[in-house]
Amino acid sequence: MKLQFDRGTILLTDPPENLNLAEAPGVLWDPRVRAYRAPASRYPDLRRWLFEGSVRFEDLTPPPRSMQDAWSDVDLRPYQEAALSAWELADRRGVVALPTGSGKTRLALAAMQRTRLSALCLVPTRVLLDQWSREISAVYRGTVGRYGDGVRQLTPLTVATFESAYRHMDQLGARFDLLIVDEVHHFGGGLRDEALEMGIAAARLGLTATPPRAPGAVARLADLVGPTVFELAVADLAGGFLASFDAITLYLDLSPEEHSAYASLSAVFNVAYREFRHAAPAASWADFTQHSGRTPAGRRALAAWRQMRRLLAFTHSKRRALRSLLERHQYSRVLIFTADNKTAYAIARDHLVMPLTCDIGRQERDQVLDRFRHGDLRTLVSARVLNEGLDVPDADVAVVVGGALGEREHVQRVGRLLRPSEGKRAVVYELVTRNTIEVGQARRRRLVLVARPSAQL
Amino acid sequence: MSLLPDRLLSYSVAGTVVVPHFLGEHDHPWLRTLLEEHERFIGRPQRELDGRLREPLPCASPPRKLRLANQVLMRLRRGHRNATVVPPRRARALVFVQAARSPAPALTVLSTVAASLGVTAGDLQGSLFADLPGERLVGASAQPLSAVELALRTNLALVQALLFHAIAVRIDVEGNARVLVRHAKLRGLICTIADRNGRCGSSLEISGPFVLFRNTRLYGRALGELVPLLAWCPHFRLQANCVFGGRHLTLELGTGDPIFPAGAPREYDSRIEERFAREFRRLAPDWDVVREPEPIAADGTLIFPDFAIQHRSNPARRWLLEIVGFWTPDYVARKLAQYKSARLSNLILCIDKSRNCAAADLPPEALVIRFRRRVDAAAVLRIVG
Repeated sequence: MKLQFDRGTILLTDPPENLNLAEAPGVLWDPRVRAYRAPASRYPDLRRWLFEGSVRFEDLTPPPRSMQDAWSDVDLRPYQEAALSAWELADRRGVVALPTGSGKTRLALAAMQRTRLSALCLVPTRVLLDQWSREISAVYRGTVGRYGDGVRQLTPLTVATFESAYRHMDQLGARFDLLIVDEVHHFGGGLRDEALEMGIAAARLGLTATPPRAPGAVARLADLVGPTVFELAVADLAGGFLASFDAITLYLDLSPEEHSAYASLSAVFNVAYREFRHAAPAASWADFTQHSGRTPAGRRALAAWRQMRRLLAFTHSKRRALRSLLERHQYSRVLIFTADNKTAYAIARDHLVMPLTCDIGRQERDQVLDRFRHGDLRTLVSARVLNEGLDVPDADVAVVVGGALGEREHVQRVGRLLRPSEGKRAVVYELVTRNTIEVGQARRRRLVLVARPSAQL
Repeated sequence: MSLLPDRLLSYSVAGTVVVPHFLGEHDHPWLRTLLEEHERFIGRPQRELDGRLREPLPCASPPRKLRLANQVLMRLRRGHRNATVVPPRRARALVFVQAARSPAPALTVLSTVAASLGVTAGDLQGSLFADLPGERLVGASAQPLSAVELALRTNLALVQALLFHAIAVRIDVEGNARVLVRHAKLRGLICTIADRNGRCGSSLEISGPFVLFRNTRLYGRALGELVPLLAWCPHFRLQANCVFGGRHLTLELGTGDPIFPAGAPREYDSRIEERFAREFRRLAPDWDVVREPEPIAADGTLIFPDFAIQHRSNPARRWLLEIVGFWTPDYVARKLAQYKSARLSNLILCIDKSRNCAAADLPPEALVIRFRRRVDAAAVLRIVG
């Protein structure tokens, strides 16, 4: 019998007559090619099953590749060592949940350096593709491959964006023995999960600051990467390995004109939303948007919702409050987070602060971060680019003018400030408009921050 | 071109069938107006055109279709950068660093930097974000675009975006099936032939390897790329099994649907084939030479003979002809193995002498003609005649 990697799957051909492959893990009969097939991620289980059954087979998948040289030592903090040990003890499969700024990338580097396995690192954005390549190059003297942002360069140690992995895993899937997934909470919901299912790597390490809590997503992620093997919250490291911080919420009012516009819009929205909730009390927001798209009244409600959000993104009061905060913290390193790019540019124009958005090219973005690192720039404004993963050095004030992505986004944003330094105490301001949808959103965001589970050591 | 987002798609669902709202002749008047509006804004910032199109057009235009067509048009006419007094990146580097150094108000900072560059503060401010998408200047298309073409291109973009939800497609096709199969294989799809119950043509079932395990959208893009090729099939019917929001729906397309076609496929793979067809037609006017006849299932795959040669008054006298040209030895071996397993009694194999194929490698039922540079049409006629 032969086992071979075929476009993200394992194809089993010429099985012995007495072997019932339908009982093998993950294997199904594929009538299209008249052969048995399994998802590539079941390759380690499949081999084990065949060995246990003393089945002779020829394995045509490429043999494991190791990287014996070209690594410098990667020192870890005690909690990072503990996390790595927990992962090793779990047969090199599992998710490590650590707060933003606590050195998750460092942990991944140590995993690569110590296992010496060929590794594919998956990252959510092009910005992180650059950052990971740089960080790996600092301790690894070989060539670091890249898949994403228009580049396709394959080496035994490659970094790829989620999107590129999703599109090209049918070719990449057999080439790596270790899969490292940054911001792994993006998986488990069905979207792009194939990127993890189409690889043969037995060793898998997922990294996140915000592991999923919904039982379905937790189980799915455990299947794709492994269970959560180690978890620490912000509170576990704040004041030591992470900076302490104060969270201050500023409640602001709408101007009379804004209030009137908001009231009209919310009336349109509320009628449709209440009606829907009455008919389907257990339905989700996604159900509501899907349902609303089908009727003129529903579409009007959704349009009203979008306008409400646009209105709240940068109200007159928020403009005034932001001006005052920037004056108060004119000598601090400040990050301003907005709900959308339009607001980011408006703030950039008003206050002459550098915007960091998806429209700013890679080279300029790197220069901007460098200037921020050296103090030539003191304030950056961003809608999403600064949210996740990007290594932003030494910011100590954050102003959250608005957000669109909920609690997880907030945890990531606060994490931008927690890089520790001597005597540092960071401060996070949230600008919240009274008597609007923002009040509930702000409350949920704070709950997530304080209600993180304690350490699991 | 990247796929259109779902929110722009114009379609309805009837039972379990997705009905794309194609743009047709009745849409041409407002499409012409849309094209005129774009023309009017050539050389002006994109945001000005966006602002104009937020208002209704002077003639009736269905809002959803308008958004869709406008998006397709914008993708066809890539804008270009605004010429600025100061390059935007340089302007940002200077202005924002100066603002970080100085507690002065924004206007003073702008004036200071502008003076150091010898430009006005207004010009400097205008340069700051002149490279953002909204500031790009509306461009003209390389070729003049008519309302008819815009409608067809919009329909193609709509169908391809809908097929992004497809898991698998079945295509009943007469003629040109080889182009579809070749493309499917090139994109890593699996193509099988389904039973046509005696009807002529081929039924292709196309899906990706991973579909066996779940309803994945992984192959939707590649499946959508088949659509413009269908226009070159004299008759076709496509049925796509799609998943929209967890619901299984079917998308159907057929001959005559108003979809922009791909460029004409090459009729012949080589000059040898072209020359043979020309010479045989001249030599044997009573015979039809059919290029790329229906595929034949063999050993779990499909074989596409190069030609079928069929007597015009007696269709039972029909031969399949394959020209084995200058291919790699592996490919020749695989091809011959496929023909052997198909056990065709009416096969003529024309084999390049330089291939050195041993008789044992050849299908025993096949009639063999060896050639150098040119397939002798007279020799083929002697066999079939």
